[in-house]
Amino acid sequence: MHIMEGFLPWQWCIVWWLIALPCLAFGVWQLKKVMEKDREALPLLGVTGGFIFILSSLKLPSVTGSCSHPTGTGLSAICFGPWITSVVCAIVLLFQSLFLAHGGLSVLGANIVSMGIVGPLVGYAIYRLLKDTSVNIFLTVFLATALADMFTYFTTSLELALAYPAEVGGFGTSFVMFMAIFAVTQVPLAIVEGIVLALVFKYIVALKPDILIRMKVFSEAQINKARGEA
Amino acid sequence: MVKNYLLEILAVVAVLVFCGLFLYTSSTMEGAEFAGSDNVGSNLIAELSGKSVDSFTPLIPQYEPPSGEIESCLFALQAALGGIFVGGVFGFWLGQKKSLTETKVNQ
Repeated sequence: MHIMEGFLPWQWCIVWWLIALPCLAFGVWQLKKVMEKDREALPLLGVTGGFIFILSSLKLPSVTGSCSHPTGTGLSAICFGPWITSVVCAIVLLFQSLFLAHGGLSVLGANIVSMGIVGPLVGYAIYRLLKDTSVNIFLTVFLATALADMFTYFTTSLELALAYPAEVGGFGTSFVMFMAIFAVTQVPLAIVEGIVLALVFKYIVALKPDILIRMKVFSEAQINKARGEA
Repeated sequence: MVKNYLLEILAVVAVLVFCGLFLYTSSTMEGAEFAGSDNVGSNLIAELSGKSVDSFTPLIPQYEPPSGEIESCLFALQAALGGIFVGGVFGFWLGQKKSLTETKVNQ
């Protein structure tokens, strides 16, 4: 989902940076508040953030004959909300643009918006929608993480289509073309990512249910029910 | 028994299907290079804007890993960092849980 350095006109770089910066600032502020409130939240952030580090470094082959990587942002979005997640993503993306030539400093804003903001925001929205329903919590985690992954690539396609509308057909044609590259490749990866993160969540529930209950990620009744099942 | 490990089984099946898909694609699809979708995207940008890929130069100068080996080394480092966090915390929680049940038993 990285837009490569130099591949986005500077006007668009500024636009996406302007969107990303306030979100990051809010995320840092939220993070400080969460940590002051409950030191036990720090290990949870370590696990959810750790998976963003791991999954976003795995470039996996897909059915389209090209490679792409999962994002791993959904779990963090569920536990900490989208804004704190964008701070963790920004750290990963900064590392990748400084040392790996994946993305770059000028396009960092655009990449943060796709992977760190829109993806987690969609995942968080799905989670909030399903949270208080009778839907199994692991299914909720699966859907939230898989869709956070998908929408990250959806956003990358959108960002590129806005900057490079096709001569014939304009924005819409470009968008379809970029979606064909990014989104189609991503479907199998998103499904596997969803299942793996649901499994990870099962282990968090088994080992540290109290932190999930205290942070009101899921209600006590839901966690206990899942523990009975798990 | 099966119900208890449903997620584990699903995860293994999903990974196996994923590997199967890869083997199938790589053996049947012609021209499957398994390049990064980032690069495929960049090629499309070049096509849409009518410029060559090489004419896109970084707006802000950046370090580029001199070879694929260095790049994969740095990626492995990133994954290792994440792995340390995850493993460390799960171990910490496991210890916490254990000591908690032990204190309960002792009381």
